Amino acid sequence: MSPSCMLSIPLMSVMPVMPVMAATSMALLQNALIVGAILFALGLIGILTRRNLIVMFLSAELMLQGISVSLVAWSRHHGDWGGQVLVIFVLTVAACEAAVALVFVLQAFARTGRLDAAAWQSLRESNIARSVDHELPASDAVAQVWPQLSPAGILPEADADETLEREHV
Amino acid sequence: MNPALPELSPGMLLAGAVTAAAASLWLLLPRGSESRAASRLGLLLGALALAGFIATGRRLGGIGEEAVFLIVSLVAVVSGAATIVTRSPVYSAIWFALALFGVAGVLLVLGAQFLGVATVVVYAGAILVMFLFVLMLAQPAGLASYDRVSSEPLLSAVAGAVLLGLLTLSIGRLSAEPAACCAVPARSAMLASDAATAADSGATPAAPAAAGAVVADILAADHVARLGGELFGRHLLAVEVAGVLLLVSLIGAIAVVTRGEAALEADRRESLGRAVR
Repeated sequence: MSPSCMLSIPLMSVMPVMPVMAATSMALLQNALIVGAILFALGLIGILTRRNLIVMFLSAELMLQGISVSLVAWSRHHGDWGGQVLVIFVLTVAACEAAVALVFVLQAFARTGRLDAAAWQSLRESNIARSVDHELPASDAVAQVWPQLSPAGILPEADADETLEREHV
Repeated sequence: MNPALPELSPGMLLAGAVTAAAASLWLLLPRGSESRAASRLGLLLGALALAGFIATGRRLGGIGEEAVFLIVSLVAVVSGAATIVTRSPVYSAIWFALALFGVAGVLLVLGAQFLGVATVVVYAGAILVMFLFVLMLAQPAGLASYDRVSSEPLLSAVAGAVLLGLLTLSIGRLSAEPAACCAVPARSAMLASDAATAADSGATPAAPAAAGAVVADILAADHVARLGGELFGRHLLAVEVAGVLLLVSLIGAIAVVTRGEAALEADRRESLGRAVR
């Protein structure tokens, strides 16, 4: 995160060889491109390393945000609408992708009961070793304290159908 | 900026802002005895201090835009990092919403007003809420084990850092050799020169007027109108294709979710079998 802030200063000191207007435009372009690159790299790391399917999709959206920032920065630099129009289509495709992907995530959750990407490792190539969690933390270091309500009233009767419904959700 | 305080010098304004910031932090920090009024006063003082800092920046001239860019990009990057490191996926989604607000701020600073607003409305308003819905539907109680363990965190962090370094290198080269990278002239300039040649040959008398209308000043006052004109003029076919894509994904999502009577019956039989076992 620091390059974005620090880079502006050396760039501004390099700039005076250029006209003032171009200098500020170029500095803004580079700063925005670096912000976009950082967001893209963060999303890449997230999608590579996180195992929760939903967090993986959030990381993909983060990469799209980085791309959007870069496109708009180039659009501003060149005085051209193309970048901004492309970002609008990126938004559209992201909405479609999120809808379809979430449907598949829900289906995957219905099959395995987990949002874990490693739950699907039986689909891997035959020559790739199975990934096993070697050091699974027993529980979180900080135990979460949830608010507790004192029980009151009558316990409702258990619904017989409910267990069957829950079974395949 | 404020007509009531035209005679305050930037130095005094800055001193006041610094004092307010220090007092607000002192009030907000935990000091043993908590009181609601003190924390409220602290928040108020903090807002005052921020306003004072912004006003000072404007009074000193020129650093307003850069300061705003710095703040919003910091918000975007820090909450983007928090999105991928937070254990709980719900918190991760909420950090992503904050990152979206930072990105929207960056887009606003870059002059893309419509996109800044659209990012917040479409992403934070619609897509993120959909993510949260699915999380609420699918999240098991407590933190799952797969949220506390990542796969190959060291390798992927190194890969991301190397990618970021390479990108930064190539971005830094942009300013070193401006002739190589920025040789592409603005499209408006090209259009204007095209129009000029067309007008010289006398082919289309209407061309100069059209070129004048298309001169794409990104920072024009009627920004949204021009963006709409570009979108529905030059990119009309793409808009139609995007509409078809939205429709197809809508139908596809519905078709995947509702799998028909036969599949439902098979599911019921399977779950019954499991219950019996």
